[in-house]
Amino acid sequence: MTSDNRKLTNLSRRTLIQGGLSVAGGVILPAGLFPVHAAGQTAIGTWPEGSKGDTVNIGAAVPRTGAYAVQGEDELKGWQLAVEHINTNHELMKKLAPKINNGVNGKKVNLLAADSAAKPNQAVQEQQTFINQNKIILMTGSTSSAVAVALNKFAQREKVLYVAAISGSNDTTGKDCVRYGFRQNFYGETAANAIGPQLVKAYGKNRKAAFMTPDYTYGHTVTKSVNDYLTEKGGWTQVTNQVSPLGTQDFSQYLTNIANSGAEFIINVNWGRDAVLSVQQAKQFGLTPAMKMVIPYQIPFLAKEAGPELMEGVFAATDYWWTLEDKYPLAKMFNEAFVKKFGYRPEWGAENAYVSFAHWARMVTEAGSFYPPDVIKQYEKGETIPSLLGDVRYRPEDHQCIRPVVIVRGKAVKDMKNKEDFWEVLEVLPGEPLMQKPDAFGCKLGDYT
Amino acid sequence: MVNWANFISQCFNGLVLGALLALISSGLTIIYGTLGVLNLAHGAMFMLGGYAGWVAYTYSGSFLVAVAAGSLFVMLVGIVVERLIIRHFYTRPHEDQLLVTFGLSIVFVEAVRFFFGSLSKMVPPPGPLVGITPLGFMMYPTYRLALLGIVAVALLALYFVLYRTRIGMIVRAGIEDSVMVDSLGIDVYKIFMLVFGIGAMAAGFAGIVNAPVVSIAPDVGEAILVQTFVVVVIGGVGSFPGAILGGLIAGQIISITSMFNPGYAYIMLFVAMTLVLVLRPYGLLGAAGRE
Amino acid sequence: MRSQRPFLVETITAIALILAPFVLPHLGFTPNTINRILVWGLFGLGFDILFGYTGLLSFGQSAFFGTGGMFAAYLLTEAGFGYVMAAVFLGTIVAAIVGYLIGLIALRRTGIYFAMITVAIAEVFFFVEFNPLSAFTGGENGLPGVPRPSIFLGFTTLEFNTDFQVYGFLAFWYFVGLVIALRIVRSPVGAILSAIRDNPQRAAALGHDIHSYKLTAFVVAAAYAGFAGGMLGLMQGFMPPDAFMFETSGQLVMQTAIGGAGTLFGPLVGAAVWLYLSDFFQNTLHLGATWKLVLGIVFVLLVCFLRHGIVGAVIDLYRLVAGRWAETAPGAGVVPPASVPATPPTVAMMPARRRDSDRSSGPILQATGLTKRYGGVVANSDIDFTVNHGELRGIIGPNGAGKSTFFKMLTCEVPPTSGQILFEGKDITGMGVADVCQLGLTKSYQINQLFNRLTVRENLMIAALAETRGKFKLDLFSNPRNSPELTEQVDHAMALVNLASRGDAQVSELAYGEKRRLEIGLALATSPSLLLLDEPLAGMSPAERIETVKLLKSISRGRTMIVIDHDMDALFELAERVTVLQEGRVLVEGTPDEIKGNTKVQEAYLGGVHDVLAAQ
Repeated sequence: MTSDNRKLTNLSRRTLIQGGLSVAGGVILPAGLFPVHAAGQTAIGTWPEGSKGDTVNIGAAVPRTGAYAVQGEDELKGWQLAVEHINTNHELMKKLAPKINNGVNGKKVNLLAADSAAKPNQAVQEQQTFINQNKIILMTGSTSSAVAVALNKFAQREKVLYVAAISGSNDTTGKDCVRYGFRQNFYGETAANAIGPQLVKAYGKNRKAAFMTPDYTYGHTVTKSVNDYLTEKGGWTQVTNQVSPLGTQDFSQYLTNIANSGAEFIINVNWGRDAVLSVQQAKQFGLTPAMKMVIPYQIPFLAKEAGPELMEGVFAATDYWWTLEDKYPLAKMFNEAFVKKFGYRPEWGAENAYVSFAHWARMVTEAGSFYPPDVIKQYEKGETIPSLLGDVRYRPEDHQCIRPVVIVRGKAVKDMKNKEDFWEVLEVLPGEPLMQKPDAFGCKLGDYT
Repeated sequence: MVNWANFISQCFNGLVLGALLALISSGLTIIYGTLGVLNLAHGAMFMLGGYAGWVAYTYSGSFLVAVAAGSLFVMLVGIVVERLIIRHFYTRPHEDQLLVTFGLSIVFVEAVRFFFGSLSKMVPPPGPLVGITPLGFMMYPTYRLALLGIVAVALLALYFVLYRTRIGMIVRAGIEDSVMVDSLGIDVYKIFMLVFGIGAMAAGFAGIVNAPVVSIAPDVGEAILVQTFVVVVIGGVGSFPGAILGGLIAGQIISITSMFNPGYAYIMLFVAMTLVLVLRPYGLLGAAGRE
Repeated sequence: MRSQRPFLVETITAIALILAPFVLPHLGFTPNTINRILVWGLFGLGFDILFGYTGLLSFGQSAFFGTGGMFAAYLLTEAGFGYVMAAVFLGTIVAAIVGYLIGLIALRRTGIYFAMITVAIAEVFFFVEFNPLSAFTGGENGLPGVPRPSIFLGFTTLEFNTDFQVYGFLAFWYFVGLVIALRIVRSPVGAILSAIRDNPQRAAALGHDIHSYKLTAFVVAAAYAGFAGGMLGLMQGFMPPDAFMFETSGQLVMQTAIGGAGTLFGPLVGAAVWLYLSDFFQNTLHLGATWKLVLGIVFVLLVCFLRHGIVGAVIDLYRLVAGRWAETAPGAGVVPPASVPATPPTVAMMPARRRDSDRSSGPILQATGLTKRYGGVVANSDIDFTVNHGELRGIIGPNGAGKSTFFKMLTCEVPPTSGQILFEGKDITGMGVADVCQLGLTKSYQINQLFNRLTVRENLMIAALAETRGKFKLDLFSNPRNSPELTEQVDHAMALVNLASRGDAQVSELAYGEKRRLEIGLALATSPSLLLLDEPLAGMSPAERIETVKLLKSISRGRTMIVIDHDMDALFELAERVTVLQEGRVLVEGTPDEIKGNTKVQEAYLGGVHDVLAAQ
């Protein structure tokens, strides 16, 4: 029914090397000048070249050096596992994407990774290289929304699909959403709407909160979302909002201001290493546990880096926590496969990486095509599909996955059953009620072609 | 929100931060003053001190051992780097020295990432210094209070070495006039090696004593290096008292601006630097003629 | 390579740019990588003028790269401005203006201070971009949606959509950028920038306003950075916030060092190597996170062992091969353009420049009560000193008599603690050394102060340029080779100091005596009306001394000169009057015969020598 399968006939004997040569040839005769017409579908992005061989490539621009390297390496492991599972018909992958058959649409999947150092420019540069050199048919990678937004726009321009990795900003599927970009994980708005009621439920109304906000758009957005909920619905007061620059090492000035603010809660929106350091130093200053720490958007490895003693009683919203395996069989399968391969329990960066690839594999195989508009339309059918945490679906209007948000609380060290048992899952909240209306953040998806 | 208690506590924060900056900067400045080399790997050496200390701590469980290991290891690194690389750059242009130390800083950071990964590491403060001390107007982390003392002692030790020993005399003479030292018939290279070692050690020592405050990661030195530059420019390149004064001023500027609007803390720091450059181009305590 | 064939470099570059997209893909470069290399190359053209040619190593170029790029991107996205190239040019102008303002601060210092200040400035720009201006810059998200490059020609609009077309667009602008950069480095300004790199103090002493020239280089570099920033946005349709990061500056510096500074092509080659290796390490060798470690080690090794970078090494190799070839086949090699046989110095005469204020008689220089204290040490004390037009005055004195300090005060290298200096009746106390040189007073140094990486001809040209162009002139696009007057003046000076056959030799290749003559020639080429010579005979062999004394005699005609030297015989032969300094004071003054016969001088002078000898 689609073009890809039709032209498999005499391509299968091509080796990868020959494929590579044809790529070089394509470079010399600039491809864009001479559109290739195949069965009425115009060549678009890397299609059809990208799926001509017996392998399709995915490009990941992921931080392996720089401040977000920890999260980057975790994501990379998630993708590696997903690709392995797609190519070997792993039981778990079969459940998430039933039509895979040692690959997708008859082709093996190959993952290419390059270091983005969490910089948008480098990420775009590497994806561009992958597109030119390897004709990748899918891009991924981000540990911050800056990269996600950049790659979103880049995907739309290059007409190559992009699935976001860690990206918490509302913008990714809000004002900067694109037709070619999809996000599986939770984000600022859902985090705020999930944790707000939990706080009000647990601690009552009219409390005083200090905010710690990293000084960039993402931070300000999340702080606003959380604060709006707490003030409107809970009657809470924001007694101070401490804005710190990205990459702050010494938080003493901010913590001193909080110590003198009379706050009962510290709502810490910092990300990455900023979060680790601010949590550690809040403890040094004796602010916690006297004040309750709340982390609306949990960072993978936060507990491991900051130390479990500091996590006791900390409230957080997250995408995934491994102990959910007791309730969700697919999560259990994922954890087992991951631990077997990498020797530690996955954090949500890896989970999101794995699931977003699984969903892509599902869409591609269901559509039976690599033609990007076909794949996008498959996503946009909005069909209910499985994830590690039960059924989810993608909103056709903004390409955001409607998925649960997990509320966790840090365990006391004595209650930890093993050295990775940092969080106690309080609740798994369904995603739909937490989300804004699809057009509320100004999403305009753009064209298919 | 500006009240006296808050103001005093911010000054205190500034003092701790400033003392640390002063220590790191004095390492940078004595190397520069004596050898004429600006060590762009100084931040990386600060980081190396933290990691060396952390390794020693995980094996020994003793903070003192960690501090000793961190300082001595970085001193050794400094000496080896001077002997193998920097020595061949004394006769080359300043720019080449900047390039090679810049390259070294990347090598150090990435080598640490290679061996220890990117996950940050924490060295806890020694037992008696854990916890919080009430100061009347505020509660303050005991270790940070102690850090102020530790850094002050280190600066005193450095002062003693610079002003009360023969080596120190030569170093200071070198800062004043490197030609003169040459004519004294001293084995200058031996002195240079030692100075580079001592300067590096100051960074390494700062790196490990700061580790209980700011957990260590491969990139921990980068931000510090830029602040150190500002300190040195404010204080005057090559001036040990200048580094201390500059450090304390920088600490106060960051802290006090943070009280009003933290977003402008660093911008104010650079404004201060600009002011110094306009009013006293050679820094507050710097001497003319050194570039 | 530089002079004989005009437009050789331009032609070769044009051919290389046309061939590159057909050749480089076979070496593993993708079209996009090639485009990026061009953007880095453009960025680097300006940086190389700043670093390679002027010797100012800035770690803050990201500030201008980001500013220019963001400004253009803002106009094209948020502000809805429709003219792509106009936006880029506006961004370039803004970057240049910002560069000017920053330069005013950063250039207050040089060398290492300058490097540190630029690091700090780059950091401030990043903070400002990231937050206070995030409404304009998109904060951490940058500005996506920058349109593809296009050029509005009035009747039609050229659009560039594919990588290949964008390559054509960037290659065109790179070529334009290169041609401009070549014009700049070949202009008088470019020559002076190189002189500033080699010896800023001497460049100033020859009458150039080095601060303004440095500022010029800084602004040019900022403009190139801004333009390249605009190109980056157009190329990838996205203006990233990390353009402002310190790492961007760092990468530029490293690429330039790898490629070779001072070659204009260094940054381009360095970018190619850098991007190729980072791709090769990650995607071919699969080094993963270790790629940067390996690249760092490669960089350190390159800096240690390949001092002039890759392009520099190629040029060195070329010179070596060409040199050997020239040796084995004499006559077939490069013929020096000025292959005049060694001219006897007496032939050519070099008159002092006629200045409005010139008078033919009376005092040319009057110093009254000149005193200099360094801390507690008094170097000169209350010196009264007058020299008349056309006089040849000698100054002698034992070591430590304060002769050099006295000269430094006369040329305004150091300000006197008290006292006054009148030159041609004009009070020059406290003026800058460049201004004084422009008035017609300069000196040759006791220790050679030459521009070591330039040729003899270029050295003298620097001096002559100060005379013909004044203190500061922005003739960025003129070619000094097209000025017969200048060439004549340089040839003249060269002949005068008997270096005509050595015109194309680098200073580092000269023998000591030749360097010494060049040192005098530099001062002479500014056509001073009063020439101060600080120990012109120092370190010379007896034979050289005789030659030099002859030279000094010949140049003294029609000019006023003051000579310090220890060689009393030579000085007594030369000078009409002699001043004796002792312990910072004027001991006595008179004709050589008077001085010779003066017992006070003999005792004091010889006694002084004995004292010095005894002290050692």
